[in-house]
Amino acid sequence: MSNARPRLDAMRPSQPGPTRTADPRPPDKFPGRGNYLGYVLFGSCGVFLLLSSILVLRIVWALAAGEAAWNDLMAQFQNPIYVAYHVLAFVGLVWFTLRFFSLFPKTQPAKIGPAPRPPDAFFAVALNGAFAVVTAALAAILWGAVL
Amino acid sequence: MEGETKKTFVVTRFDPDQDEAPRTDTYEITVQPDWKVLDALNHIKDHVDPTLSHRWSCRMAVCGSCGMNVNGEPKLTCKDALSDYGDTVEVAPLANFPVIRDLVVEMEGFMEKFKAVKPWIMVAKERAIEEGTYRQSPEELDAFKQFSMCINCMLCYSACPVVSAEPDFLGPAAIALGHRYNQDSRDEGNAERNEVFRDDGGVFACSFANECSEVCPKNVDPSGAVQQAKLLNVIDWATGLVVSRGGK
Repeated sequence: MSNARPRLDAMRPSQPGPTRTADPRPPDKFPGRGNYLGYVLFGSCGVFLLLSSILVLRIVWALAAGEAAWNDLMAQFQNPIYVAYHVLAFVGLVWFTLRFFSLFPKTQPAKIGPAPRPPDAFFAVALNGAFAVVTAALAAILWGAVL
Repeated sequence: MEGETKKTFVVTRFDPDQDEAPRTDTYEITVQPDWKVLDALNHIKDHVDPTLSHRWSCRMAVCGSCGMNVNGEPKLTCKDALSDYGDTVEVAPLANFPVIRDLVVEMEGFMEKFKAVKPWIMVAKERAIEEGTYRQSPEELDAFKQFSMCINCMLCYSACPVVSAEPDFLGPAAIALGHRYNQDSRDEGNAERNEVFRDDGGVFACSFANECSEVCPKNVDPSGAVQQAKLLNVIDWATGLVVSRGGK
């Protein structure tokens, strides 16, 4: 009988079969870390888009239903809950738009067809400038300064 | 030695033969002021607990092996200075990956996603040697160069909330790599890759958290690559509605 030590295969698992793994865990500190909070809030602004779209439909319906319905809706809009909602929606959607504009440049490839990509500054000036002009024009119309 | 301090390391451990679920072990060691997190882990393995398992290789942020979660954030531990942390440092395996042992994660699914985007130059017909080399201008190189700097460290997958919710999602690095080849002027494989990009779990599964680009240790912008791939795929799809592709 040989006195040699039995050979051990160091790479052999101690138990037969595939290696058992621990389940993956989700990213740590979600949604409080890094971009997660902005990402979740950005997605949550979809609620404002949905509710505001429904309100626009309601306004159109009131317009079609005659002056009494329109005046009734305008009276309802004086309710503090509506006012609070509109302030919240305004702040939320302005932030949503500005965040979208800040992310927009990185969505543009080096070339689209033969046209080279403009510099980031072009996107910043064009998007934010257009937003400021359109917002100012709408505000002027709503306050009765124009038309 | 001057500048030495004591730090406590709370390290996630998992032995598939013994543990039902990952647990933590705590080690208090003396660290040098210029150490990276990886140096501390190597010290623990060499001098305190030889059973600790972790991956590493180059120690110079090139091989992409030593990605781990440090204090809850995905980091390349060979690049991550210990001086940036307080007295307690928590080290865990990368999130969103199954754990094989301790800090070592299963990479098979990640590698399959890489293969899926066909990360190689595809040409319809190989150029004859007599025609010379493929030439590329600096502008053509700039279109994809940053996306070719990826070291496959998987930090972007660990940070991605979409990978967490939808494990079949191709993920940031694989899409950035596919986009890199789509942007390469020598390549003619866009149509094949775009089919993969437009499939379930492709580019449109991304909801643009942008955290992948934040954690990238090589300053690649994978989230930009994914959004650009989305835009180019929409253009490609719309163009296909009006222009015949000649059967391809």
